[in-house]
Amino acid sequence: MDVMGGIHGGLQADLVTAIGSPIPQTLYPFLAVLLLIAGLVLTASFFIYEATSAKFSRKLSQEFATGGISSLFLGFGTLFLLLWTGVYV
Amino acid sequence: MNENTKFQLAFLLFLAASSYLISPAAANLVLNRVDRRVDLTSQIVRIASSLKVENAGTDDVSEILFSLSTEHAEKVAFLQAVLVEGKSKSKSKSTAVILTVTPGSSDGRVMLFSVALPKPLKGGDSLSLETYVVLTHVLKPFPEEIGQSDAQLVLFHESAYFLSPYPVKVQSTTFKLPSSRVESYSKVGVTKLVDSEVRYGPYENVEALATAPITLHFENNQPFAVVEELVREIEISHWGNIYVTENYKLSHGGARHKGSFSRFDYQSRPAQSGAASFRHLLARLPPHAHSVYYRDEIGNISTSHLRSDFKKTELELEPRYPLFGGWKVTFTLGYSVPLEDFMFKSSDGRRFLNITFGSSFGHVVVDNLIVKVVLPEGSTQPTISVPFAVEQDKEIKHTYLDTVGRPVVVLTKKNAVPEHHNIFFQVYYRFNSIAMLAEPLLLVTGFFAFFVLCIAYVHFDFPISKSSASFQAQVQREELVDLVQRLQKVMGIQGEAADRLEASLRDVARSGDTAPCKVARKTADATWKETSKDLKALSESFHLSARSSFVLPKVEVLLQKEKEMVEKLQQKQVATVEAYERKLSSKDIDARIAPLQSKYSTLKQEVRDLIYALDD
Repeated sequence: MDVMGGIHGGLQADLVTAIGSPIPQTLYPFLAVLLLIAGLVLTASFFIYEATSAKFSRKLSQEFATGGISSLFLGFGTLFLLLWTGVYV
Repeated sequence: MNENTKFQLAFLLFLAASSYLISPAAANLVLNRVDRRVDLTSQIVRIASSLKVENAGTDDVSEILFSLSTEHAEKVAFLQAVLVEGKSKSKSKSTAVILTVTPGSSDGRVMLFSVALPKPLKGGDSLSLETYVVLTHVLKPFPEEIGQSDAQLVLFHESAYFLSPYPVKVQSTTFKLPSSRVESYSKVGVTKLVDSEVRYGPYENVEALATAPITLHFENNQPFAVVEELVREIEISHWGNIYVTENYKLSHGGARHKGSFSRFDYQSRPAQSGAASFRHLLARLPPHAHSVYYRDEIGNISTSHLRSDFKKTELELEPRYPLFGGWKVTFTLGYSVPLEDFMFKSSDGRRFLNITFGSSFGHVVVDNLIVKVVLPEGSTQPTISVPFAVEQDKEIKHTYLDTVGRPVVVLTKKNAVPEHHNIFFQVYYRFNSIAMLAEPLLLVTGFFAFFVLCIAYVHFDFPISKSSASFQAQVQREELVDLVQRLQKVMGIQGEAADRLEASLRDVARSGDTAPCKVARKTADATWKETSKDLKALSESFHLSARSSFVLPKVEVLLQKEKEMVEKLQQKQVATVEAYERKLSSKDIDARIAPLQSKYSTLKQEVRDLIYALDD
């Protein structure tokens, strides 16, 4: 019954295109390391600022900006770390 | 089936009402010749028949009836009819549809299926038809229980005549057996046993629906590997991967094992011991399959071998123990394949998965095959294209980083045979690539929430009473720290201005040009003037502050010294400029500036020390 495979396995190649990952998978380790390092450095600066600045002179906007940017880096970094380790979400 | 040279066409097979039995259309057809080949070499019975159908009447016939005994009809796993037209080359490929089997015969003995012809068969014309029937669980082990050293014998009941609602002019049947060891076979007219084949016929002019029951009793030691339930989960990730997880409940469907099991006999005399048992299974995985695992509830099973080349990946695995009749084993087989091998975009913008339906194992019968396709979160309108009848269902699955859950398409197929395993099926769905960002954004939100929590923690006070002494002290302390920091900042600005002026003074010493130094002086003076206001305000704040008593002397000294330092620097600048404008000798200049310089340096050092001291 080889014919069965031939019938249903053959797709018209001109009508369809294969879909892969939007980002080359070989870049995942690089992106994970880069984004996580950036995220952790920003996180460190966030906490240094929190710990050293006096209560009345702290700027809320600066806190949110540092926190927001570092969470962006950490979030995407963690995603690529997961993908790199084989946990495809 | 020799499809290579023949023209094939597809048919839909319909369940026919029993009334067809006596319908005039049925009466007019005659089967000129029927050749039937029954393959009994494995646990699956495959019956291939080639029929020459002639329309002996005058009316056009648009469908041909095809019959099976009820006993066999219940066990049908796969049914296909192919029209063989002349000897011309293939014009189109055939598709087969397997129908749901329900008894529908007049006497409960025969069940009919109808084959719709693409164009009616005119009176007097004839055509060639090939039917292919796959039956499972029809080989009955006899004896039903065997010991470890016994061979497995099975019984097969059939009719020597081809069961047909039409009269058959000439027919013959061949049964192909796995070995030449045949216990017994029924004799009906011309019957021959040649090597491992039993041939019945040719018989001439057999009436419609005539039967001649026969029984074959023969040795069949092929692995009767029956998967009672296979749950196959295919999880799609648009980040570039498809996970396939297959959960097997495997059993040996042959003659039950009787007595004890001796592993010594089994391993030392493999030829005589446990001939009907099996210890290996060969799974054929797609090419590029990776991250293959094979485990059960206990953990990883290490007895497996993986081989791969560019066309396929082969996994040979051994269950934890050899399987004898009636024994069962459960395990999980999983692997990953790259997304681009199975995921495509169709011309209408929908995405679709194109993957094989059945088990990875070549020679197993799957009683209950459940295929779950887990689509990515955010996909909508899933539609399925499967070339045979399946039950469809939907569910939602929650896995890593999911919010609303992933839609799951559940397909259930009873009685699946290897003929189904290699069939590709498609799941179409709509998916917007932006939805892929849902997972990273969830992570980002998680991290951001953590930061917000930290910000909230340092900003809010958590006192039991706002008027308590310790809280007041805390607030005052905070205020003081704030003042000190502001003071340090202003000092920093002043210090920078001083440093710049000093640098310009050194430039004067090098070049003798006093103009830039004057400019620097002006800017420094402006800075000092501005900041002196701030300093005044700060100093007042220090005086007002309740708890500043222990820093106040330090601050006062600092301000004093700072003022002196600035004055000295100004004197030094004036002296230097004057000296250079008067073009004094370098010795004189040095003599004039040196005392000022030393004083300034000591003051600068003192100021710096005081600023640091404030930190404590």
